[in-house]
Amino acid sequence: MADAGDGDTAAVSEPLDLVRLSLDEIVFVRLRGDRELKGRLHAYDSHCNLVLGEVEETIYVVEDDDEEEETVKTIKKQSEMLFVRGDSVVLISPQAAS
Amino acid sequence: MENGANSGSSDPSSFLTEIIGAPVKVKLNSSVEYRGYLISVDGYMNISLEKTEEYVDGKLRRSYGEAFVRGNNVLYISAS
Amino acid sequence: MTSQLLPLELIDKCVGSRIWVVMKGDKEFAGTLLGFDDYVNMVLEDVTEFDYSGSHTKLPKILLNGNNICMLIPGGEGPETTES
Repeated sequence: MADAGDGDTAAVSEPLDLVRLSLDEIVFVRLRGDRELKGRLHAYDSHCNLVLGEVEETIYVVEDDDEEEETVKTIKKQSEMLFVRGDSVVLISPQAAS
Repeated sequence: MENGANSGSSDPSSFLTEIIGAPVKVKLNSSVEYRGYLISVDGYMNISLEKTEEYVDGKLRRSYGEAFVRGNNVLYISAS
Repeated sequence: MTSQLLPLELIDKCVGSRIWVVMKGDKEFAGTLLGFDDYVNMVLEDVTEFDYSGSHTKLPKILLNGNNICMLIPGGEGPETTES
């Protein structure tokens, strides 16, 4: 069975428990369409609707330049607070302050 | 595992309990791939992984200590 | 009409045999069907994943999400060996 590693994982019996344990912590969220968020998780539900505070959003945009070379441009946006609709969530990862 | 007698055939839920704790590969519909140790899965195929590595086009893009993957994105879960 | 075979009964007959799975997108899988559930999520063994790019990947054992399955072909070995 699951290796009884650190105390955190012992409390995880369903996948959403990992999200529950991240409440009020900083999380990394990958969204559909090459978007990433990093912020403090204030609330979530079973659809993965999220409320995040102190958010930094990173968007990756591929641009074709004159010589048909693709360059990836990153756009960063800051928000005080935002709501994420669950259906666009791909991945949520707790970012342990390290 | 305890159901060794049933190793020949398995339905989806017994396969999942069989691979809890094991290293797995999770492929998404977007063809992004996650490799890590399977902590748990639920009926929506939501997945939590430990020591997760994220591969895009076969290249390592990022690593996560722990990660939750929303089930609707999952194409398959593979024992690796 | 007594010999009507329900679609899922056909799949049930495939348990233990090779099966070819065509997904809604460009992907296809061939493998031995070990089991499935009401959503047609499938456990497959000795799997080959056929990519749109033509590359194939071998996988020992997978749980395939039934959500994006388009078509199931009993006995199929994937797009490569369709000539007979």
